[in-house]
Order: sequence, then structure tokens, then C-alpha cells
Amino acid sequence: MDSRSTGARVEVRGLTKRFGGFTAVDDLTFTVEPGRITGFLGPNGAGKTTTLRMALGLVRPTSGDVLIDGQAYADLVSPLSVVGAALEATNFHPGRSGRDHLRVLATTAGIPTSRVDEMLELTGIPAFARRRAGAYSMGMRQRLALAAALLGDPRVLVLDEPANGLDPEGIRWLRGFLRMLSREHGKTVLVSSHLLQEVSQTADDVVILANGRLVREGTMADLQGEPSVLVRTSDASALAEALNARELAVEPGGDGGLVVRTADPRVVGDVALAAGLPVWELTPQRADLEQLFFSLTEGTNRNLGPVAGATREGAA
Amino acid sequence: MTGAIRAELLKFFTTRLWWGMAIGIFLAGAAFALLFGLLFTGAFGEESMQGMPTGDATQVANSVYTGGLSIGYLLMLTIGVIQIGSEYRHHTITSTFLAQPHRLRVIAAKVVALLAIGAGYGLVSLAGSVLVGALVLTARGEEAFPSGDVARTLALSLLVLGLWALIGLGVGILIPNQVAALLIGVGVAWIVEPLLGLALRAFEFGRENLAPYMPSEATNAIIDAVQQSPDQQRLEWWAAALTLTAWAAVLAGAGSVLTARRDVS
Ligand SMILES: Nc1ncnc2c1ncn2[C@@H]1O[C@H](COP(=O)(O)OP(=O)(O)OP(=O)(O)O)[C@@H](O)[C@H]1O
Ligand SMILES: [Mg+2]
Repeated sequence: MDSRSTGARVEVRGLTKRFGGFTAVDDLTFTVEPGRITGFLGPNGAGKTTTLRMALGLVRPTSGDVLIDGQAYADLVSPLSVVGAALEATNFHPGRSGRDHLRVLATTAGIPTSRVDEMLELTGIPAFARRRAGAYSMGMRQRLALAAALLGDPRVLVLDEPANGLDPEGIRWLRGFLRMLSREHGKTVLVSSHLLQEVSQTADDVVILANGRLVREGTMADLQGEPSVLVRTSDASALAEALNARELAVEPGGDGGLVVRTADPRVVGDVALAAGLPVWELTPQRADLEQLFFSLTEGTNRNLGPVAGATREGAA
Repeated sequence: MTGAIRAELLKFFTTRLWWGMAIGIFLAGAAFALLFGLLFTGAFGEESMQGMPTGDATQVANSVYTGGLSIGYLLMLTIGVIQIGSEYRHHTITSTFLAQPHRLRVIAAKVVALLAIGAGYGLVSLAGSVLVGALVLTARGEEAFPSGDVARTLALSLLVLGLWALIGLGVGILIPNQVAALLIGVGVAWIVEPLLGLALRAFEFGRENLAPYMPSEATNAIIDAVQQSPDQQRLEWWAAALTLTAWAAVLAGAGSVLTARRDVS
């Protein structure tokens, strides 16, 4: 990427969307900061896509608004150079080549065609992009959508489930790519996902949605909680005493184990050795993200009834 | 705005639709010119002229050169529907509105692009029909260009095609399901509307005040072709052009209003 553009702040303020009597997004307020990757999370039907579409002026909010760099999307003078968005993986005419799709967008926004080819290089699909989009795989579509989002060298990137359909290598590439954009170019990156683990390695911040409502907003580090180490030994109380003497907080960890509040398992091992106690298990721990996500959003998936939900989960 | 217009043209010319349509419109122009050229000059014998539409030399020439329009305007209607319908169908409307959030500008760009496309296809149609038609008329001993009014008709046929594309655009917005829009649009324009025109002719008020303002009747009046019954009420060419423009404006206008308010999801 050529530019040094820095990101812009995205402010979602009291955003609500009702479809008939159904409230898809319910008084949502949060801020997305520049130079950071924000994971926008929630189970299926939580209202992520609807929120993003409102932010981009595609869906009209029932109330509330979204400001991007202090302005509504529709008021941005040159929108593609402020926000780049990839909303769905199927946004292409099957009879038009991917490159032509980008040329259409570039022409609308007054972006030179040379930029189209640069973005195709960057996302690794220059040859494929000359074929008709109807033949593209899911991963190709995602890359093409990403290339489209990057066309205007935007300050803010909004990506709706960009990892869908990417193979493990593609996902790794995407993570590195997003990190580069936020760290090195200071861009604002907002990525939605319905899997907390998926973004846990990339996101600096998280916004978690359930039933259209905000259930958690904060840094990924806060969400993961204090790191700790689980240790098992022959005499738990003796080890606890030894650890306390080194000013390490200890809690019973169940099954005779101890949970030590530290990020460094070596300290625990050293203390045990000094106390002459055997170490049977030594495991660094973080909060169980899957469990945490589930408890935050539990039982809130309104698209699935309780019984239907159980069977569908079983099938998945 | 010019970017949006060029983008609409690019959209049209980057799928395969355009050349299929070009061939269709060219062939329709040539085939109808041949058929009408022979028919209206009595090439199939004097008795075959009985019950045929009639007119003066200018009207005959007009009919020969614009005979293909009866197919051409249906194709332009189709193109108009597809120019917006395929955006809904393949969800490209999302990226279109992201690149140009002022939706009315997007519709305005489509309007300008479709008028240009209509004029372009008009030229393609005329290339076929004037070539073949002039040959046939000359061969049959008729004057190929009996008056300057023929030139006016040829020029107006370009406008007619553009206006029908705008009618298609309106239909395509009002009926967001592209397949339904195509079936209903062509079905109405090809069958229902002409039948309705006939029915309106069954009583005096309809004959004098309603039928001439129907889109297909207006189209025929603009190009001033031969008539089934010469005493039939028909608008002046300029009034007919205004009438068809009004239809296009109403349909495309209603579409614009809807487009501005509709959620894109
Ligand atoms: N146009 C619409 N009309 C009616 N209901 C809608 C419409 N769009 C979305 N919804 C409903 O609003 C809710 C939120 O949908 P949304 O697509 O925003 O969820 P999501 O978080 O993106 O889900 P997913 O993870 O499945 O993509 C869903 O229950 C959906 O059925
Ligand atoms: Mg979604």
C-alpha cells in the first residue's frame, strides 16, 4: 500500500432498526477507534449485517445514526476514499469479470484503472480476475470483495464475515493483511464474525451483540481476563504456601489443582522445585473464549426456537 | 456524475447482453424492412393489398424503415429492466450505492446512459432497415426518400428506443424481481397494452381521448407509419413524442422515488 493515510473514528449512536414489529438492532451505541482492529461479534441474526448496512447508508435506521469521521456516509464527499466495505461474498454479476466489476466501481468514484490492477495484485488474484465472476470460488469472491473495498485506499475498512469460505491459509493471510493495515497504516478496521476465537488473534477490541443489543464492549485483553497457570502437585497446600510467600495469588483449581495468577509458568515451576514438590501438570490458561461468548449470548438466538435450535446445532 | 454515467455504460458493455441485443435489433430492422418493403409496394399481388394498412409514400417509407422498432422497443424495454434488475438480482446495487451514495444521481446516470444506449441501438436498427429498405423500395420502383419527413422519423426512432428503455428502467425498479419484471414488462407492452388500446377504441371517449395516449399508439404516431384505418384518431408526431416522454418520465420518476427510500439489504 502506498499511502500513509490514518484511520477515522466510527461512532454508532443509539442505532435502532425495526422491521415491522421486529427489532433487529436495539439502541446500539459503540465507538470504533482508528489504528485498531475491532471484532464485531454476535451469533447468527444478532444484527451485525443490519448495523453495518445502516452505517453505510444502505439501510435507513429507525432511529439513531452512525458517524464516520464525524459525518454520515451519505455526506462523505469521496466515500470510497474514507470507507471501504465488503458486505457479502456474492456481490458480483456472474457474467462480468472481477476486474470489470472493479473497473465499474473505480469509474464511478473517479479512481484510475491502474489502481484496479494494483489491488488485484495485492489480493493475489490478478489472473483469475479476468474470468467471469460466475466461476469464482467462495475464497476468490472474498478476495475480490476485499480488493473492491481497498480500491479507494480508505481510512476505514468494514468487512462482514471476510473469513467465510477462506481456507486456513487464506485466513492466515487475511489476518496478517488486516494487522498490517491497522498497525502500519493506522487504518480503522471493523470485522464482523460469529466466532470469537476467529478474531481473538487479530482483534484489539471487541463489540459483542446479542439480539440486536450490545452485551459487551472492550479490549480483547480485558475480555480474555487475567492470564493464569494451572498447576497440579502432590501437596497442594504446601505449594500454595510457597507461592503465597512469593506474593503470587492462588485459588483452588478443582480436582486438587491450583490456579496461580501469573502469565509465566516458569515462575510456578521454579517455586515448586525450590519447595521440593513434584509438578504433575503445568498449564497456562486464558478465559475459555468459546464458553465466554456462549455465556454472553446464550439463549438469545431469536431465529431459532429452543427445540429447533437444539436440532440445528446437532446437525451443524 | 459523469463518472456514474460512464460506469453505467461500462456495466452495460462488460456483459454479453449488449452484442446479442445489437444483433437482434439489426436483424429485426433488416427483416421488417424487407417484409414491409415488399408488402406495402404490392409485391405479393394487388389482391394482397386488400385490408392492408395504407398511407402515402412518406408513410410507406417510414413504415419500412421503422418496422423493426416493434421488436426493437421490446428489446430496449428489456435492456432498461436489466440495467437495474440485474443490480438487485446479483446484489451489485450495494457496491453501486457505496460508490455513489446519492441514489438519485445513480438513477439519473442510468437514465442518461439508457438514452445513449437507445440512440446507439437506434442507429444499429436503422443501419439494417435503411440499407435493406432503400434497396427494396428502389427495386420496387418507389422513392426511397420521398420527403424530409422521413429523416425526422429516422431521428425520432432513436428517441423512441431510448424512451422505451426508460420505461423499462421504471418497471425494473417498481418490480425488483428481475424475472418477474421482464415477464410482466414485456407481456404488458407486447400483448396487454395493445389489446387495451383496441378495447379503448370500442367506444367514442376511449377512441378519442384515451387510446392515442397509450405508449404503443404514441410510438406509432411518432414514427408516422401507415395506418390500418386512415381515419383513425392519431396524435401529431410531436404530441406523441411528448406523450411517450411523459410515460417514460412517470415510470422512471416513480422508480427514482422508490429507489431513494428503499432499504438495500
Ligand atoms: N430486510 C429485512 N426484513 C426483515 N427482517 C430482517 C431484514 N434484514 C434482516 N432482518 C432480520 O434482522 C435480524 C438481524 O439480521 P442480520 O442479518 O443483521 O444478522 P447478522 O448478525 O448479520 O447474522 P449472520 O451472522 O447470520 O449474518 C435477523 O433476525 C434477520 O432475520
Ligand atoms: Mg450477517
